[in-house]
Amino acid sequence: MRRLLVIAFLWFPLLILSGSASADTFTCLACHSAMKGKIRTERNVLIDVNVDSERYASSVHGGFDCIMCHKQFQSDPHEPAKIGDVPQNIAALAHRLSSKAETDPVALAACAECHGEVYKAWQESVHGKNIMDKRQADGADCLDCHGSPHYITSKNTASSMVNRKNIVATCGECHENKHLAEKYGLGDFIIERYDESFHGKKYLLGHPNVPTCVSCHNSHGIKKWDDPASPVAWENRTVTCGKCHPGATRKFVAAITHKPYGKDNPIPYYFQKGLIILLFGVFAFIVGHVFLEVFSEIRDKVFRKEKEEHHE
Amino acid sequence: MNKNLPAEYQRFNVTERLQHVILLVTFLVLAFTGWALKYPEVENSKWLVHLWGGAKTAGIIHRIAGITMLMDFVWHVLYMGYMLGTGKMKLRMTTTVIPLPKDILDMMKNISYFIGLSKTKPQFGRFTYAHKFDYWAVFWGMGIIGLSGLFLTFPVQASYLFPSWSVNWIWEVLFVMHSDEALLAIVFILFFHFYNEHLRHHNFPMSMSWITGKISIEDMKHEHPLEYELEFGDKGADK
Repeated sequence: MRRLLVIAFLWFPLLILSGSASADTFTCLACHSAMKGKIRTERNVLIDVNVDSERYASSVHGGFDCIMCHKQFQSDPHEPAKIGDVPQNIAALAHRLSSKAETDPVALAACAECHGEVYKAWQESVHGKNIMDKRQADGADCLDCHGSPHYITSKNTASSMVNRKNIVATCGECHENKHLAEKYGLGDFIIERYDESFHGKKYLLGHPNVPTCVSCHNSHGIKKWDDPASPVAWENRTVTCGKCHPGATRKFVAAITHKPYGKDNPIPYYFQKGLIILLFGVFAFIVGHVFLEVFSEIRDKVFRKEKEEHHE
Repeated sequence: MNKNLPAEYQRFNVTERLQHVILLVTFLVLAFTGWALKYPEVENSKWLVHLWGGAKTAGIIHRIAGITMLMDFVWHVLYMGYMLGTGKMKLRMTTTVIPLPKDILDMMKNISYFIGLSKTKPQFGRFTYAHKFDYWAVFWGMGIIGLSGLFLTFPVQASYLFPSWSVNWIWEVLFVMHSDEALLAIVFILFFHFYNEHLRHHNFPMSMSWITGKISIEDMKHEHPLEYELEFGDKGADK
């Protein structure tokens, strides 16, 4: 007890900084906000032991006790959990998440306690099934899109990974990744093609209404495009596009595919090549014409003065 | 100076000048509001779009300016039809803006003069081949940029018109048409038109014809000898 008091005294300034955190959080953060670096766990995973107490306190979860999510540390923070520390449903969920959640599957499962509805949607999504059913060690869980739960801020703040300004880059973390694209048979050109599209160009310029990835593909409950439940499945596209383009028909919704130029789409590709040839042809002509004329005018002024006899 | 000759010649009437002013204002507005959308990944584009009050407002201004320009174009075509149909404007080899075989010869002759192969400049009518190029470039631009712009402004309505075998690529084509041809138009105006009407030594800092509609008789004699000949040939002859 005395040792604890000494530690508490030493970290007193930090305790003031993390003012909004609860008493138990103080105890954990006393060490974990000061510790730097990573440690290797029994499961041979490197874990960052540092928690920035200031950022934690200002996050949406800043008022939580650590053990509200890190339930297995209920009795003793540095010993294996006792039976009964972790509620059965969370423990079962944590087990299904264990392929991906290396650091603390229980804490990842604990999100479901408050965010039940979106968690369920995620479990049935292509991202959720990938981890829970296919037992993959990559793919998106809560943290991949929202960042560390210690620092989650409202999606309306600029620092939020799912903020409108950041969401395309967040999706791009995986969907521009060559390795993941190959593994899951996705195109790594999707984000690039979005950036080149009208929607993407306006998005880059800060247009407030233009759709981002989640506007059309859904967020937590995202499905593969050929799943009938996906909002971008052929059957649903007229409704999805119709949100912004009333009167959208099957013919209209074919406009967006995210397909690259080239073999899949040769007409625009060669059309653009043709236009560029025309462009440079005209440029070459006008630039050549203007320069030759400038040359001849200077020559006439300097060397052919006798020609200027028309003036009366 | 010959007493029988006026000091200036009325080259463009007020309707033609007004059509030109509307064209030039809408052109500049379209270029400045649309440029950022061609290169959104460039940092300055965000700044440029900010000047217009953001991407959404810039888009609305761009559409209004585009439709105004198209209406100006329609007005001009109807006006030309009226002028020619009523005989108020006559079709003549030396004054028409329609390209003729002579224009090709003029161009070859002019370039020969530039590079010193020929000692004399070609004799131009009311419109030189460069003027005709300038004029018909607008028609080309209206067809390519104006039409694709209209389709892109009303994409749902446009999609009803397109055959179903074209829907997979038509939008890419329309966008490429709109943006690449706009770039062509901007470079063309900045380089060719600005050089011819602003930078040539006798036009610097600019030819005032677009405001006054007038050209001095001296300039007309040098620049448009065939038209001068047609208008004042007999009067000038007794010089």
